[in-house]
Amino acid sequence: MRELLEFLSNRRSDMLQLGIEHIAIVGISVLLCTVIGVALGVATYRTDRPREIILAVTSTFLTIPSFALFILLIGPLGIGAPPVVVALTMYGLLPIVRNTITGLREIDPATVESAQGMGMSRRQRLVRIELPMAWPVILTGIRVTTLILVGIATIGAVIAGPGYGEFIFDGLARAGAPFAINLVLGGVIGVIVVAILFDAAFSLLGRLTTSRGLQ
Amino acid sequence: MTVASASNGTDTTTQRIAIRLEGLCKQYPKEAHPAVDNLTLDVPEGEIVILVGPSGCGKTTTMKMINRIIEPTSGRIILDGEDVTTADPDQLRRRIGYVIQQIGLFPHMTIAENVATVPKLLGWDSKRVSARVDELLETVGMPPGTYRNRYPKQLSGGQRQRVGVARALSGDPSVMLMDEPFGAIDPITRDRLQNEFLRLQAEVRKTIVFVTHDIDEAIKMGDRIAILQEGSHIAQYDTPEQILTAPANDFVADFIGSGASLKRLNLSRVRDIELSPWTTVDIDADRATVLDALRRSDKGCALVLDENRRPRRWVSALDMQRHDGRPLDEIGLPPDAVVEPQATLNDALNELITANYSVAIVVDSSGAYQGVVDIDHINEAIRTMRTEARAKARAALPLEEPVDRSEQAGS
Repeated sequence: MRELLEFLSNRRSDMLQLGIEHIAIVGISVLLCTVIGVALGVATYRTDRPREIILAVTSTFLTIPSFALFILLIGPLGIGAPPVVVALTMYGLLPIVRNTITGLREIDPATVESAQGMGMSRRQRLVRIELPMAWPVILTGIRVTTLILVGIATIGAVIAGPGYGEFIFDGLARAGAPFAINLVLGGVIGVIVVAILFDAAFSLLGRLTTSRGLQ
Repeated sequence: MTVASASNGTDTTTQRIAIRLEGLCKQYPKEAHPAVDNLTLDVPEGEIVILVGPSGCGKTTTMKMINRIIEPTSGRIILDGEDVTTADPDQLRRRIGYVIQQIGLFPHMTIAENVATVPKLLGWDSKRVSARVDELLETVGMPPGTYRNRYPKQLSGGQRQRVGVARALSGDPSVMLMDEPFGAIDPITRDRLQNEFLRLQAEVRKTIVFVTHDIDEAIKMGDRIAILQEGSHIAQYDTPEQILTAPANDFVADFIGSGASLKRLNLSRVRDIELSPWTTVDIDADRATVLDALRRSDKGCALVLDENRRPRRWVSALDMQRHDGRPLDEIGLPPDAVVEPQATLNDALNELITANYSVAIVVDSSGAYQGVVDIDHINEAIRTMRTEARAKARAALPLEEPVDRSEQAGS
C-alpha cells in the first residue's frame, strides 16, 4: 500500500498527463457518438424497419472484441489517437441511439398532436417539443456510453492510443517485476477517477439542461 | 348525400357561415367503409356546434379534418369563405384554436410558455406576447402572478384544462376545435368548467366545433347539435330544443335516450323563471319578530339572512321553542341547496331534491338572497317547454292542403 502511494506520488505528473489524455479521447468520442447517435435516432424512430436495422447494426458493433477492432483499424488509420476515436465512436453508439429512440417514442402522442394542431411544423415540433422532452432519456444514454468508453479506451494503448491504458499495458509487459502491479493499479485508479469525474459532470449537466417541468 | 340545414332556417340566413364542409370524405386504406362519408355541414359564426354520436361514428375524424390533422380524401373545407382544403396546413392551424381531451400541455414549458406558443409562432413581439398571456390567464381564472412560472405537473386536472383553453385562445382564432375537452375531468369539476366556458364564450363569441359522445354535455353546451351516425351521416342537425322535442328519427330518439323532459331542464336557467318568495328574518331580529314572522307564514320555517342578505340558517318554530334565547345563527339548519341565477333548472332540481325544505335558495353573484325555486317551478317549466316545442313542431309541418281561412273564420 505504501509502495503504491509512493509510486503514485513519484509519477504524479504522468498520472495527470495520462488523465487529461484519457478525458480528451473519451470526450471527443462521446461528442461524436452523441451527434451521430441522436441523428440516427431522430431519423429512424418513426419507421419500423430502419429502426430495427440501425439498432441491430449498433448492437453488432458492441460485440466485436475491442482488442481485435483496434488492431483491424491499424490498416486504414495507422496507430495513435485517430483509430481509437473511431473505435470508441462505434462502441458508444448503441446506448445513445437506443435511448434517443426510446425517449422520442415515449412522448405522449397527444402532446405532439396538440403541437401540430397549434401550427408547429415537423421541424419545430422536433426541436421545441420532442427533443427537449426526450432529453433526460437521451442524456442517460450519453452517460452510459461515457462509462463504457472510459473503460474501453484503456485497450487503445495496444495501438499507442492515449490514456491510462499505457500504465496497464506497461504493467502487463513487465509482469513479475516488483512495480508491475503498481503500474496496473495506477492505471485502474486513474480510470476510476476519470469515470467519477465524468459522472459528476453529467449529473450537473442533467440538472442544468433538464426543464424543471420534467424533473 | 347528407345535406344538413337547421330546420328553423330563419336564423341561418341572417348569420354568416364560418365553416362550411362540402362533400367531405375520409376513406382509410384497407377499410371497407369510409370513416366520413360525404358530409356537408355549415357552422354559423359565433356558435357552438356539437358533433355528437356513438363511438366510431366519425365525429373526431370529421373535426380533425377541419384543421387537417387528418387530410380528407375528397371534399372541400371552407373557412370564412376561403377554400383551405389545400392551404398550408401549419398556417391554417395557427388560425384555429385546438383543445383535445388529454389537453396535451407541453410538460417542459411553463404555463406562460405554453400559452405563448401560438403568438410566438405568429411572430408577435415579446411585449405583446407577455401581455396576451397575462390577459388570458386572468380570463380563465388563473392569476398570472401565481401561475405564470409553474409547470403543468404542478397543476390539477381542472387547472390544466383551463390553461389548455387559454392556450387555444392565445392567437385570437375565430374558430376553435374542441375534442371532448372536459372528458377526462371529474364530474363536479367538469360541471364548473363547462359553466365557466359558457360564460367565457358569451364574451368571446368564437365559432366552436365541439366533439363529445355525451348527449347531456351536447345539450348543455351546444347552440346547435349535429347527431352523427356511422360514416358521419347526419341524423339530425338542429337546436337542442328541437332535438329533444322533435327527434327526426328513431336513431336520434334512441340516442337521446329516456328522460328527454329531464334533459330539457338543462336548457332553461334559474334566471329565466319567476322566483317565489320565502319567509325571511334578519339575523339580529328578536324572538318576538321571528315568532311573529313564523306565525304569519305558511312555510313552517324562516330563512335567516345576515347583514348582506346572505342566507345563514333555516329556523323553524320548533327550533325556536327548543333553543330559547340562543342566537339565530346557532339554531336550526345550515342553508343547503344554494344556486346562482345562471344555474340550469336541472342543477336547481338536483339541489332541491336533497334539500331540507325541498327548495333551492337562489342568490346573486355576491351571495345575496333572491328567492327560492321549488318543484312546482320545475313542473311548470317542463309543461311550458313542451307546449312551446309542440307548437313549433306543428308550425314547421308542411301545409299539404290549402286551408280556406275565410270559412274557418266564419264558423
